Amino acid sequence: MTLPILPTSVVGSYSMPGWLERLKTEYFARRISRHDLDEIHDNAVKAAIKDQEAAGVDVITDGEMRRDNMMDYFLERLAGVQIDRSSKKFYYDFYNSSVQGKLPMAPVGVAADFRFLKSFTDREAKFCVTGPHALTKRIHNEYYPSEEALATDLARALNLELKELVKAGARIIQIDEPYYSGFPDDLDWSVKVLNTLAEGVDAKIVVHICYGNRYGKPSWEGSYRYLFPRILDAKVHQLTLEFARRGGEDLDLFREFKPPFELGVGVIDVKTQAVETPDMVADRVRKALEFVPAERVTVLPDCGCFHLPRDIAFAKLCAMVEGTRLVRKELGH
Amino acid sequence: MILQMNHLPRKTSAASAEEVVATLQSLLEEGHLEPEQFANLYVHLDWIQYRNNFREPVTVVPIADEKAGKIPFFEAHVDLRQVAPGGFRAEMLKAMTPTNPGFGRHPAEYEGGIRLEDFGPFRGSIVWRFNHLYWQRLAEWEGSTGHGYEAALPGGRSDANHPQAVADGVADFWTLARDLEMKKQLPPELFVLEIGVGMGTRAGLWLDGFRKLDQERGTNYYARVRFLLGDYSPATLERSKAAVAGHREQCSFVVMDALNPMQTLSFLRHKVLHIHMTNVYDNLPDEEMARRDGRLFLVEARAYLPSCEAERIAREFALPERDLRRCIERLLEEGPGHFGDHARGVEFWRQVWGALRLEERMVCVDDLPAEALPGELDVNRLEEALREAPSDLRFHVNSGAMESFRNTLPLLSTRGYLQVQDIFVTRWSEYRLKFHGPGKLDGSIVNWVNGALLRETAERTGFDVHFAPFRYREGSHTSILFTTQRE
Repeated sequence: MTLPILPTSVVGSYSMPGWLERLKTEYFARRISRHDLDEIHDNAVKAAIKDQEAAGVDVITDGEMRRDNMMDYFLERLAGVQIDRSSKKFYYDFYNSSVQGKLPMAPVGVAADFRFLKSFTDREAKFCVTGPHALTKRIHNEYYPSEEALATDLARALNLELKELVKAGARIIQIDEPYYSGFPDDLDWSVKVLNTLAEGVDAKIVVHICYGNRYGKPSWEGSYRYLFPRILDAKVHQLTLEFARRGGEDLDLFREFKPPFELGVGVIDVKTQAVETPDMVADRVRKALEFVPAERVTVLPDCGCFHLPRDIAFAKLCAMVEGTRLVRKELGH
Repeated sequence: MILQMNHLPRKTSAASAEEVVATLQSLLEEGHLEPEQFANLYVHLDWIQYRNNFREPVTVVPIADEKAGKIPFFEAHVDLRQVAPGGFRAEMLKAMTPTNPGFGRHPAEYEGGIRLEDFGPFRGSIVWRFNHLYWQRLAEWEGSTGHGYEAALPGGRSDANHPQAVADGVADFWTLARDLEMKKQLPPELFVLEIGVGMGTRAGLWLDGFRKLDQERGTNYYARVRFLLGDYSPATLERSKAAVAGHREQCSFVVMDALNPMQTLSFLRHKVLHIHMTNVYDNLPDEEMARRDGRLFLVEARAYLPSCEAERIAREFALPERDLRRCIERLLEEGPGHFGDHARGVEFWRQVWGALRLEERMVCVDDLPAEALPGELDVNRLEEALREAPSDLRFHVNSGAMESFRNTLPLLSTRGYLQVQDIFVTRWSEYRLKFHGPGKLDGSIVNWVNGALLRETAERTGFDVHFAPFRYREGSHTSILFTTQRE
């Protein structure tokens, strides 16, 4: 599938409707069946696909409608991870989880989600997987001698899943590592772990690094300077970073260090409900093009749209697409 | 009949309580009450906390419920403190008469008093306009009473200004700044916001304390502090300036609505490290609801002047009684100056305020259109929150406090915290223990805040809420709400 120059995409999650949140809570309270919940999820994914297509997004996801949050969806499926099911009140809270022995090496079984996505769209599709560094930060480690050791085994298990995704037809896989920004000193080992995860995976590997988006709020502040130069060792194809909320100051790092990666540039602030205009988006894209050639840039929101109301999320995606079209036209495309 | 009895400490009420039960039984036997009414009667004893309040000794609250039969149901709230020995029967009959028979007639109408508005959620009541007048013209009220508003508070001073509480708050903030510095995340400007500043005493104490601590420890944080004093009364802000005169470089004074700090300070979104409020939520417009037999009711209120009070005020101020309502409206629109004799105008204000009463009725939520519900109340969410609450209870919704809370949290930086000192009901079950307002505190309204609902709301939006007792003053009812962003 040929993508236009400056392809647009999403970071992963789409707006989580209030009704879906309520129905999930009903499921946890044993008031609706698993079968009904699966059907609800299927319909929510179809609606998310339709919204992204209608907005004109080039590379879409399933909106992560099946996930309570980015952690638990994987932790629940990772063999050897113990989950305390009494530990959360609302479905989007995190479970308490622990590892008490060596993790068995088995895929986590989310490739079916990708197959479902592909069966309802002709667009290029991307699948997002929470990275081993982020998962490590949510697990109470009672077995491994270090976080790095735990993360390495998590990466090995997830690597099997990434290969399953490729077998299912995934050509773009995004690894979400939002905790890098909170624990910059971990970067020495977490880049190694990232490479273990991506090893032998025949797909375009995208790494998304932001400053957190729990409940629509940042978890940390600072500069992406901490990533450099260590991130240059990552064997990945694209870094997607947030610039809309924080401004484009850190774009200069791409000129300073000339990383071999493509840049996924965040042009939509997902932590405010104010909808950007296409002109604002175009300005942000133009700013990125001062540092990275257009052929190496993908246009995205800063992070997932999980916490935005659906009409706002849709309007923001429309503005992103329209603003990108303005720049493409200037570039003669 | 359900009889809920509360006990006011240091008040002997056993004999009166006996009288209530015996009287209700005899009213049934004499035919003043229908058996079905009696069976569904909910009687709440000592439904009062504040000595100055909006209630008669016995208040009958009709229940408007389309699903109920033709016989009007009602509940009765009894203030044993106000009921004279042997006087309950007369008070009960007086309170019941408009309801039974002739359901829906107003006590004022029955007695020839003055009704000041139509029924509606308490948030929209005229009493909040009196509250607004008080804060906008505080100096005039204080001039008339001869004492400052703090004198009306329990203990005669605001818990906001307790030196040790402020010192502990200063130490907490310094520790946060230090931690941020260690993590190389100390912002160039440390924004602190106080909403509802009173005389500025707490802000002054806080800044004095922080500067001293900063100097002692050789950290250079004080120079980075940007202290914003926010209040909706320009007069109050003006008065607060003297207390922070030694910190002019650090302070800004912002006229703002506590209901929506983001409206004024949106440029500080995710930037404020510490927000403090004392006794602000308890003075924001609110509503009450009740759950009876598993169904939710909105408590609607209507303000009136009892006939004897209306007559007295009219006589005292040489006004025709029929002009009282118009005079009150002018008072609320123009202030006490409209009387010509300003001192007399303030006296009129005080007399009317002292005499104001609230009549109530309960309307089943199922019978109300969604837009009639307070604020952005989501009944489904409320019912979820009530799952852990006692089955029958009356509680505050505090839509004003909820609105303020919701519009304050976005200002907080990732590591920031909101601290609210106020009178909180921290667990649903506490509503069973005693009545929690509204009352009159000098010329203002005081009302407890539903902390349990606030916590539920915060948790859904990613904030943890903890309550701690205000341990700095013995016997204090104040709690400290502490909010931080949830991981």
